[in-house]
Amino acid sequence: MLDLIWLIPLLPFIGFLINTLYTGRIADVHTRERTAGYVAVGAVGAAFIVALLAFVQLGQLPEEARLHQVVLWTWLATGSLNVPFGLMLDPLAGVMMLLVTGVGTLIHIYSIGYMHGDKRVARYFAYLNLFITMMLLLVMGNNLLLLFLGWEGVGLCSFLLIGYWYEKRSASGAAVKAFVVNRIGDAAILLAMMAIFFYFGTLNFFTTTVNGIEYPGFIEETSRIAGVTVGIPGQTFLIGTIISLLLLIGVTGKSAQLPLFVWLPDAMAGPTPVSALIHAATMVTAGVYLIARTHAIFTPTTLAIVTWVGALTAIIAATAAIAQWDIKRVLAYSTVSQLGFMVAAAGMGIYVAAIFHLLTHGVFKALLFLGSGSVIHGTHETQDMRRMGGLREHMPTTFWTYLIGALSLAGIVPLAGFWSKDEIIAHAWKHQGDAGYILPVFFILVLSSAMTAFYMGRQMALVFWGKQRDHHYHPHESPSVMTIPLVILAGLTVLAGALNLPGSHWLTDWLHPVMREEAAQFSIGVAVFATLLAAGSGYLGWWLYAVKFANKITVDGKDPLYHWTGDIWDSMAAAWYFDALYNSTIVPAYRRVAGFFAAVFDPQGIDGIVNGVGRLFGRASNGARTLQNGFVRTYALAFFLGVVVIIGYLITAL
Amino acid sequence: MFPYLSLILWLPALGALALLATPREQHQTARSIALAVSLLTFVISLALPLRFNAADPSMQFVEQVAWIPQWGISYHLGLDGLSLWLVVLTTFLIPIALFATWNSIHAQVRYFQILMLLLETAMIGVFIALDTILFYLFWEFTLIPMAFMIGIWGSGNRIYAARKFFLYTFAGSVLMLMGIIGLSFLHRDATGAELTSFSLTQIMGDIRTGAFALEFGMEQLLFGLFFIAFAIKVPMWPFHTWLPDAHVQAPTAGSVILAGVLLKLGTYGLIRFNLSLFPNASEWAAPAIGILAVIGIIYGAWIAFAQTDMKKLVAYSSVSHMGFIVLGIFALNEIGITGAVLQMVNHGLSTGALFLIVGYIYERRHTREMSEFGGLWTVMPIYGGLALVMVLSSVGLPGLNGFIGEFAIMQGAFISPALGWGYVAVSVIGVVLAAVYLLRMYRETFMGEVNKPENAELKDLSGGEIGMMVALLVPIVVIGLFPTLFFAPMQASISEVAQAFRSVVAEGQ
Repeated sequence: MLDLIWLIPLLPFIGFLINTLYTGRIADVHTRERTAGYVAVGAVGAAFIVALLAFVQLGQLPEEARLHQVVLWTWLATGSLNVPFGLMLDPLAGVMMLLVTGVGTLIHIYSIGYMHGDKRVARYFAYLNLFITMMLLLVMGNNLLLLFLGWEGVGLCSFLLIGYWYEKRSASGAAVKAFVVNRIGDAAILLAMMAIFFYFGTLNFFTTTVNGIEYPGFIEETSRIAGVTVGIPGQTFLIGTIISLLLLIGVTGKSAQLPLFVWLPDAMAGPTPVSALIHAATMVTAGVYLIARTHAIFTPTTLAIVTWVGALTAIIAATAAIAQWDIKRVLAYSTVSQLGFMVAAAGMGIYVAAIFHLLTHGVFKALLFLGSGSVIHGTHETQDMRRMGGLREHMPTTFWTYLIGALSLAGIVPLAGFWSKDEIIAHAWKHQGDAGYILPVFFILVLSSAMTAFYMGRQMALVFWGKQRDHHYHPHESPSVMTIPLVILAGLTVLAGALNLPGSHWLTDWLHPVMREEAAQFSIGVAVFATLLAAGSGYLGWWLYAVKFANKITVDGKDPLYHWTGDIWDSMAAAWYFDALYNSTIVPAYRRVAGFFAAVFDPQGIDGIVNGVGRLFGRASNGARTLQNGFVRTYALAFFLGVVVIIGYLITAL
Repeated sequence: MFPYLSLILWLPALGALALLATPREQHQTARSIALAVSLLTFVISLALPLRFNAADPSMQFVEQVAWIPQWGISYHLGLDGLSLWLVVLTTFLIPIALFATWNSIHAQVRYFQILMLLLETAMIGVFIALDTILFYLFWEFTLIPMAFMIGIWGSGNRIYAARKFFLYTFAGSVLMLMGIIGLSFLHRDATGAELTSFSLTQIMGDIRTGAFALEFGMEQLLFGLFFIAFAIKVPMWPFHTWLPDAHVQAPTAGSVILAGVLLKLGTYGLIRFNLSLFPNASEWAAPAIGILAVIGIIYGAWIAFAQTDMKKLVAYSSVSHMGFIVLGIFALNEIGITGAVLQMVNHGLSTGALFLIVGYIYERRHTREMSEFGGLWTVMPIYGGLALVMVLSSVGLPGLNGFIGEFAIMQGAFISPALGWGYVAVSVIGVVLAAVYLLRMYRETFMGEVNKPENAELKDLSGGEIGMMVALLVPIVVIGLFPTLFFAPMQASISEVAQAFRSVVAEGQ
């Protein structure tokens, strides 16, 4: 079975091919839609089953043997460069692979209902399958280059799916923005890869021998660059710091961290299941996976920066989430914020906690996004929460599952989000002495999680409580093909905390061969404090919008809190103007220079010189041409002058 | 031994002769004959990779016949790992370009086909000539058909563009001729031979064995003479301004060949002459040339962003992409040079495809202004899908061909003592900018709503047009996933270039 792990990414790829090449040609709309959905769900479902079998088999191996690599062919070999197209399965890749195919399958099923009636549905499912393939290559690639193929591949699928309704200018713009911003990060990863090859001579993570050819790995060799520095005299940097900083830049792109997070809120232009799958549960967590995978190369300097990036992202995005009206934008900023928690955890060196939060968040945030999709679906494409209200009566299943997701995200015991978030906060509290920055980070994270509870309370109140504020639609519950995935995800949200409960710490043990971490220490004091804080601020958020201000919320009106906070509220709503800053500085500057090059510098500057040289020769030959004018007297003069010169020369020479 | 090279070289020219015998007005006959001849040439040329011995670094399929023995000039052909794929690329792109003229060239059809076939002979000749005079003849001969194609079948300001193209490249070539003659005379004096030799293999061999050592100043001079000729052809920044003019005026088939093959004559020459003959000067000049290459990468990408004419955008993207190729060459190591050679093929495929894509829409709407379009993906879904793949290939998405070439080039430059990470750190910005200008083009033309009534009824690609795209798509995907198939045959020859280079440089120090 373990030698067949290549089936896992291949199966969804076959689904992609069928839906691209065959399904689109089916003439009958209903058959086409049904075929596309069945093919896609079947492909990803089969991948999930194979993944599950492989995972179980991996667990049966002795702990130190839980790393299986399969080299399919030599991918890129020239000179001393030799990169295989190889897959691997180890405990870390295993849990990622299960998350991707498991949550992926549920979202595929849900999509059948959500995308019903869409005119390009075959294309939609093709993209979704291709995404799963690329995501699996990302987490299963046994070398950085193949990881990068998946990394850019998921970026492509993200582009395609954000721009799925490309007729809308905002959607195509968001798609291009996502791809370009991600490419900035990707360029840094390219540099990191080249540096790794330069210093280690390989891009493989772990050593493997196939058919007598040894592919060395760099993860085990990181000691080789310990203490090696580059730089100018007086200012040197550790190689490890530079490489890991480059990787971090890549992470800030894909995982939407400061300062590159600006693409993710716009990415909500895509269909909602896409937001759930790509922009919440899987793709955006790839950065956290990358850090965990290559953590051996990270130096303390970089880790401090990683921690700060994560913590600041967590709080900035949390404040932004408070001030949104769009149901999906709240969740988008919330995702950015939660990714900040994961990155901060990775920065503090608790990779298991980061992965734990990644997994639980993958489940409950997918639940929340799918729930929001159900709300949008049931309210006839309404996304503005001011137009909602009172939906709990009309959409009971959506309401109850959403509530579970919201409580989990808010960190209410005993739901999954509580356990994973608590592990991060408790660590920061317990290890505040490790470095000067841990304690401020602890406070930032605690504040962020209080805000998290607040904005979820606000959202629950705005969407499900009160009275329907816009009567242009008749709300209805979604079909069971959509609600069943919600119920399953809600169940998982209740249970997923068990993955790494204090005392049992299954995940820590499972990841031990990769992370070699001790089980996290549980702190009852921090847990009680965090829960009370979350419950309190969540209740406050709910109470303000469901009770206190219930009558002050109007369609297209201002938020009641705006009167208390004014410009601060506007700044929060604009996510502290990062996007506006880029749009008013870098973007126009780039345009203006491009225009200058195209209109002035190239045609008049460079080409001016070229044509000038041409004209110079033209003039010179015109001048020469006038000498040959056909008058005998001119030729006689030239002849005479020539004689004078020659005689003069002879006289002086003699 | 069967004279494969002569057959492949002269078959198109013979086809051109045969076309002269056909009636002038029978366009369909002329098209069919030309296409058949070029397809036959392609099929025969497939024997080259199949019968190529990858382990042998020296010239293969060699043919040598004395031509002007008094001067040591001979008809000398050969193929090695450097030229192998470039010959196949040429024979592959010509039938595609000819097929593309089917619906776009209506005036003087027969002459167009004749010129295209003559151009094919000339281009193949450049890649396989091992006599420097023969090389020079083929080199100059490539100018004439292309200049006529631009001047006769071009659009707009075509005479200006054709003249500029001709004069600019010609000015460079004259310098190269001086270099060729100077090289052989110096070689005769140094080796004490009775006759001059214009045999590239002999001169190269004598340089590698040390029998022919150039004084450093002279080496720099000769390097410069060759370099200017090739740099104009590539074109490297700042010699690039003829390229947008030529591309915008040229017919689609002309652009495909111009970008696909003609530019590669320059980068091929840089490896075959500058690197192989003047290793000391190459190492001396590499840092400066690397800077020009990096400027070209960024500048070309930046200026492409400001274009509103799609063809001009693709033309400027070539300046950027060719900058990458030159960067790889002057990495002066196996990874960089093999990456550069593969990228020559890649650029021929993906830029050729992009020019075809622009050509398809130009035939339908007679405009290439992006603002005239929008929503083409809805109206022409197959066209939109294929165009997207080609754009992504050019953007350098992993899994497709462009990424492999760019990565090898940058990796080579990174580990190169002559260049180093600083060059790569800047050129990697070009990777970001490529996404900026190409996706902008895709967004403006293919995405969005169909807001112009003239676009609403456009026909999707015909079977033939799809066929051309698929023909290009297959190697694009195969190179992306199995690049080793293409790297393996060039390995021995290129490592010879890099190795010989290294040893000579080491002795010089």
